[in-house]
Amino acid sequence: MIEWSHWLPILAMLPLVGGALTPLLFRHRPAAACFWAVSVASVTSVVAIALLLRLVDSGGFSYAVGGWLPQYGIELRMDEVGAFAVPASLLVLLSLVFSRHYVARAVDASRVSFYYALVLINLGGLNGFLVTGDLFNLFVFMEIFSVSAYALVATAREPIASLAALKYLLLGAASSLLVLFSVGVVFAMTGTLNLEDAAAALALSSPMPAGLALAGLATGFAVKAALFPVHFWLPDAHAAAPAPVSAVLSALVVKAGIVGVLRTLELFGGAESLLQPLLHLVVWLGALGALGGALMALVQRDIKLMLAYSTVANIGYIFIGLGLATASAVSGAMVHAVNHAVIKSALFLAAGAMIHRTGLRNIDDLRGLGRRMPVTAFGMAFTLIALSGAPPMAGFTGKWQIALGALQAGHPSLVAVLVIAGIVVLAFGIRVINALYFRPPARVAVASATEAPASMWLPVLMLTIASLALGLAGTPMLEFVGPAAQSIYGTLP
Amino acid sequence: MKIAATALSHVDYLVAVALFLTGAWILLTSGNLVKKVIGLNIMETSVFAFIVTTGMIDGGAPPLVAPGDPGPFASPLPHALVLTGIVVAVSVTSLALVLILRVRAEFGSVELDEIALSLAAGDTAEQSERHGSADD
Amino acid sequence: MTPELVDIRPLLAVLVSLACAGAVFAVRHRARWRAFWSLAAAGIKFALVWSMLPGALAGRVYVYQFGELLPGVAFGFRVDALGLFFALVSSTLWVLTTIYALGYMRGSHSLHRFFGFFALCISTTVGIAFAENLLTLFVFYELLTICTYPLIMHNEDLAARRAARKYLVYTLFGGGLILAGMVLLHSVTGTLSLAETGILDASVGDHWLLAIFLLLIAGFGVKAALMPLHAWLPAAMVAPTPVSALLHAVAVVKAGVFGILRTIYNVFGIDLLRDLGYADWLAMLAGVIMVVASVQALRQKEIKARLAWSTISQLSYIVLAAALLTPLAALAAIIHIANQAFSKITLFFVAGAIERGTGRKRVDELAGVGRLMPWTMAAFTLASLSFIGVPLMAGFVTKWYLSLGALDAGAGIYVAVMVISGLLNAAYWLPMIHQAFFKPLPSEPGNDLRNRPRVSSMMIGPILVCAAYVILLGAGASAPSMPFSLAEAAARFAFELEVPLE
Repeated sequence: MIEWSHWLPILAMLPLVGGALTPLLFRHRPAAACFWAVSVASVTSVVAIALLLRLVDSGGFSYAVGGWLPQYGIELRMDEVGAFAVPASLLVLLSLVFSRHYVARAVDASRVSFYYALVLINLGGLNGFLVTGDLFNLFVFMEIFSVSAYALVATAREPIASLAALKYLLLGAASSLLVLFSVGVVFAMTGTLNLEDAAAALALSSPMPAGLALAGLATGFAVKAALFPVHFWLPDAHAAAPAPVSAVLSALVVKAGIVGVLRTLELFGGAESLLQPLLHLVVWLGALGALGGALMALVQRDIKLMLAYSTVANIGYIFIGLGLATASAVSGAMVHAVNHAVIKSALFLAAGAMIHRTGLRNIDDLRGLGRRMPVTAFGMAFTLIALSGAPPMAGFTGKWQIALGALQAGHPSLVAVLVIAGIVVLAFGIRVINALYFRPPARVAVASATEAPASMWLPVLMLTIASLALGLAGTPMLEFVGPAAQSIYGTLP
Repeated sequence: MKIAATALSHVDYLVAVALFLTGAWILLTSGNLVKKVIGLNIMETSVFAFIVTTGMIDGGAPPLVAPGDPGPFASPLPHALVLTGIVVAVSVTSLALVLILRVRAEFGSVELDEIALSLAAGDTAEQSERHGSADD
Repeated sequence: MTPELVDIRPLLAVLVSLACAGAVFAVRHRARWRAFWSLAAAGIKFALVWSMLPGALAGRVYVYQFGELLPGVAFGFRVDALGLFFALVSSTLWVLTTIYALGYMRGSHSLHRFFGFFALCISTTVGIAFAENLLTLFVFYELLTICTYPLIMHNEDLAARRAARKYLVYTLFGGGLILAGMVLLHSVTGTLSLAETGILDASVGDHWLLAIFLLLIAGFGVKAALMPLHAWLPAAMVAPTPVSALLHAVAVVKAGVFGILRTIYNVFGIDLLRDLGYADWLAMLAGVIMVVASVQALRQKEIKARLAWSTISQLSYIVLAAALLTPLAALAAIIHIANQAFSKITLFFVAGAIERGTGRKRVDELAGVGRLMPWTMAAFTLASLSFIGVPLMAGFVTKWYLSLGALDAGAGIYVAVMVISGLLNAAYWLPMIHQAFFKPLPSEPGNDLRNRPRVSSMMIGPILVCAAYVILLGAGASAPSMPFSLAEAAARFAFELEVPLE
């Protein structure tokens, strides 16, 4: 009889340790470093899947680190939100496979082993963040994935990368401080750092310091999640990073901000009078982000900037769902977080493959590439349509549920926002598809390009298939997150 | 009078808030990257100071518990938090400084407005290079 | 209650063209195999769809479900009379259009893309016809938008790009409206089923009902080229002729009209709409479009542009008939899906054949063409007589039942509108026929049409078959096991009548 909860710390510790070892073991052997990183991520994925199966089978469970029980010890726990570790591990795995040939060109040779180390550490931080049961470890793991993300952005060769990374770092660090400050306030008020205990205590506490802590946590995580209007660090950082890193950042790291918001809601679930105004604000900020992000994406010429702005739009959708606080909207938002992760990493990886083969990143310059790189271009075209939320692809489930929730909550105008943003997304998607398939090549680099190596197109193709499969699996996913949505908010209409 | 008394009894919090705002002001308004990092450090310090003071109990002894010692003790947990926080802060600061070195090497400046100028110059050069290829 | 049978044929009918598209993409530049797969798939699909006809006439309904796409919304197929009627028309015309396209497109570029997406379009059209609920319908409806895009874009020049962009802007906008309408519908009723005669009722509240009606009708109206949402249609004329035929007779516009019929008969239901009175406004709009579009058609100088405006006018017949909300008018609406399709596709085929045979595209260049291409122009004559409404032709059947329906509804004014429209039709078709047959060929030096390239028999054949159909649908409409009885069954279902209509 295996005690499943022992596997929980492995989820975080394996990539962290594996990452720390990478530069020591494979300093001058990039190929071996890649193989090592892929192996570590594979094992992590297997562990994550095993834990998910156990969660589906018999409900959530927790693990007390070092045998110290909660309130004093550190608690790790597996719940429906923590199950995001599965897509996180798998997406990092695919990004690592993709990196094999990509980093040879995009990253300085002396930095390659550090690159793999940072990606693994990022995964460890994410997984730890997802399964931790206390506030302080939430902060520590957040810093682990944040700092590794700042450094990863800077691994790109372009001069702009260091500046983008620095901007990302300054804002990210400030938001982390807000979180730490709020954790301090919560501790001062409740005398505990355990999420569940603190939530119980906060439900009875006075509104003034609790409101301060809520505002601090919400703002801090909103910056991490790039909610409008604190999204401005995202496009530069995500566009400047190497493509596999962009995929991880857009798919997972911003989603960790969302998870942080979910944990915050969990923490303050009992303090409804505080939560209501915040949720209301979040809905409209989300709507502005969804529209603004989509429109900004429409006017970009650089394909990665376009994708980065579309991430801002999708984060907007998710926040609309979270803020509406109806059962269908919240579960829709949670499902959309996963689906968008899959779609957006497919897009960033496809864009990366194109940049890798042609050295061009301007949409107009990529004309005619559809015939040169059929698999990559197909993946990009397909997932662009999925991104717009066309049924039955993965982008649809979440948006449909959020729209239903908007009507339930009495905000029909939000349906218009969702539909218009979807059409705008499809418009820039079509623009890219036009360039890829219906225009003659304008650049020599395109005319002489060939399909990317299998280590690149295979992840793209797998994610493309996943973006259809997840759309068809909308109902089971919604049913899976449904109870979590209920328990986070207390009760939902 | 009462407000003043309340304020005085929470003077530690007030100092922390003042420091936090000062740091945030520098971080947001300064055009110099190094100064921004200094602003960040001031913010960090304020948060650490705040958290340490929350563990303080009037008349409490340092939490070095010996058998038979009746207390009261100051709470040890905030110290552990702050210690971790300091480690994180040091690593973030060092990463920021390394990045600033790289920015300076590539753009020849640590002033944001000067960097923006050189970026704009780079853009125009690039655009004239790809002159004529864009339409539609 | 109609007996429902689980049957895989609806699924197969959709998958056949999908597999065909895959095969066409796979064989790439091998023309023989491309032709083989296209024809084989068209034939199989034709057989599959027709094999469901006897069962449907006997009152059976075939269903096939995959499971839920969203909670409470299944992804599945359900073959009722209305859906099967639409599928019959499109699968029959796919066979003919494929043969025609093989002749017409010979020597063009990117043929595997063309025939691949051509097959995909038909696959999605049959998906629309067989959709069990509004969401399934919407999935295929949007896929159709995406699949027709490369076809309009086929020439890859500036005009094609502009037209394709216009098409996309319009149809995506329409799709957005439908999506919004669907969300509203689902949130007030909790279902999107198309299996009943109306899922809404008056308790929903007037402003919600109006919003749903406007969103759905306007959304489907974009593809149905309902004025003022029609501008994409004349622009899309830059596409190769088989595509124009596909857009205007078979797939795209009919998908829009079919959506409107579904909205009226299955979402709202006759009784509710009659109480609400929205349909009167829709009928009025359709009546205006009928005349205005005919006048516009009269002013066009290019053959295909004239055909496009004529389509806009003809589609509003269907909308008008559906909006009258009487059983006989409903019959006219459904039957006109077939009548208009066969007549219009004949005209498009002829226009393409004239273009290939003589290089002429304008109405005033037709002089003498009738002598060069007598069979082709004879088919053209038959089809245009059908539009004018000459008895024994398909178009007459529509007008007959539509008039009866309008009188039933107490709206005799629409009979007058129809007469005006018929006269306008005569005014723009007859001069073309006159020119073609009774004017001599202009003898221009260096432009000797007697040595013109021969038009492939693969183009002439489908033209003649379509023309024969136009007569068959008109003269033999009420013969047993013709689609007509299917249309009657569909109308009976919508009005919940047990007895035959006449």
